[in-house]
Amino acid sequence: MESGEQDSQQEAQTTGRSVVVFADDARGDTAAITAALRSLAGAETDTISFRNLGVAVVAVDPAALTAAIATDGAPSGSIRAVEPERIMHAIAVEEPAAAARFADDDAFTWGLRATGVDATSATGCAIRVAILDTGLDAEHPDFAGRAITARSFVSRPTADDGQGHGTHCTGTACGPADPPQGRRYAIASQAEIFAGKVLDDSGAGTDASILAGIDWAITNGCHVISMSLGANVRTVSAVYETVGRRALAAGTLIVAAAGNNARRADGVLGFVGMPANSPSIMAVGAVDADLAVADFSAASNPVEGGRIDIAGPGVDVYSAWPLPRRTNTISGTSMATPHVAGIAALLSQQTGARAQALWDALVEGAQALDLPASDVGAGLVRAPD
Amino acid sequence: MRRQVTVTVADSHAGDLADVVARLALAGLEVEQVLTAVGVITGSVEESQLAEIAALPGVAAVEEQTRFQLPPPDAEVQ
Repeated sequence: MESGEQDSQQEAQTTGRSVVVFADDARGDTAAITAALRSLAGAETDTISFRNLGVAVVAVDPAALTAAIATDGAPSGSIRAVEPERIMHAIAVEEPAAAARFADDDAFTWGLRATGVDATSATGCAIRVAILDTGLDAEHPDFAGRAITARSFVSRPTADDGQGHGTHCTGTACGPADPPQGRRYAIASQAEIFAGKVLDDSGAGTDASILAGIDWAITNGCHVISMSLGANVRTVSAVYETVGRRALAAGTLIVAAAGNNARRADGVLGFVGMPANSPSIMAVGAVDADLAVADFSAASNPVEGGRIDIAGPGVDVYSAWPLPRRTNTISGTSMATPHVAGIAALLSQQTGARAQALWDALVEGAQALDLPASDVGAGLVRAPD
Repeated sequence: MRRQVTVTVADSHAGDLADVVARLALAGLEVEQVLTAVGVITGSVEESQLAEIAALPGVAAVEEQTRFQLPPPDAEVQ
């Protein structure tokens, strides 16, 4: 042993008494144990026997006791080991995650604080993130000077966002590190933005527009696709499952909102809808600023792939909104999803991980929560340092 | 009645969709999109033809399209 310090530390944590472990044969044999202890320590020595365990604590120094066994020999057959009695300490319990209360402050949203984005050095630089939604308000000052590729897959000719949802989600995933007004709400501030308008200004879309958007994102080499959309369908769709698998094979990770069909206060847990219920697509649930599962956040669905994979901040989420409103604070698994997409971009930049490896990195990096995995999967998505 | 559908092309044919597209068109699918990166064809077909196109070589699945609808922008939960 290299250091005496460690020795003295060990001595300091023992009592000077001995723990005697009896052989399995002798266990429960009261007479044998008593005889052995008397012969070793003397009849007057304090002993505490745990007959059911086959263990006794003897008020004799372990070195002396071991020497006595070696000398006497006789009872050693009934003794398996002599060890110093140790002092145990309760393992320090940190404040549980449930006690964590986050709030928006002047510098950051609560969601960025809760996921460690406030302290990360990663920016998502050179990572391509597609947000397939209602489009993006390209005139918004928070996106000035950014690399943006936009395309419409609905009847509208441009990807301009006449609804707001797409601008909000894009803001969370890929908005600015230092917005001209207000606190920071955005994650991958140097990612390349691919804004695919797959939902029209009434928020409606079809498989045709969504699949076309995924096809476009893969063709453009996007590393991450964020889809804050879903339908309340339990069964897995063959097309989304296949497309998710082909996306992974092409180096693209798709994350999708689990759905808002729970009403937990009324005992309704809901279920992960399509397309997030595809095994090849990461399903994102929502937590609030107390890191409790959001009332609306859907629980795992028993179909294969129907589980919640990870959770993100999804209650009272502040982000960009089309002008003139500029910002808005809304809730939903739709808001949790771009938190995961943005952090995926950070991880992808920092580690080079893509597709399934990126999925694994998100899951491994998640902060465990004291909540059922069926509600939050691996836990709260966490930014790299 | 016409149905809007997605056709998932089988892995065995995903590298070359042209043959599958031709077969689908012959069987009555009005092809709207050929999505080569994901190996999916979208279009519309008479309901009575659904079983036939699903059985064509190179077709892994035919599904009716789902409609997605966000809540209104002023809804509390999105």
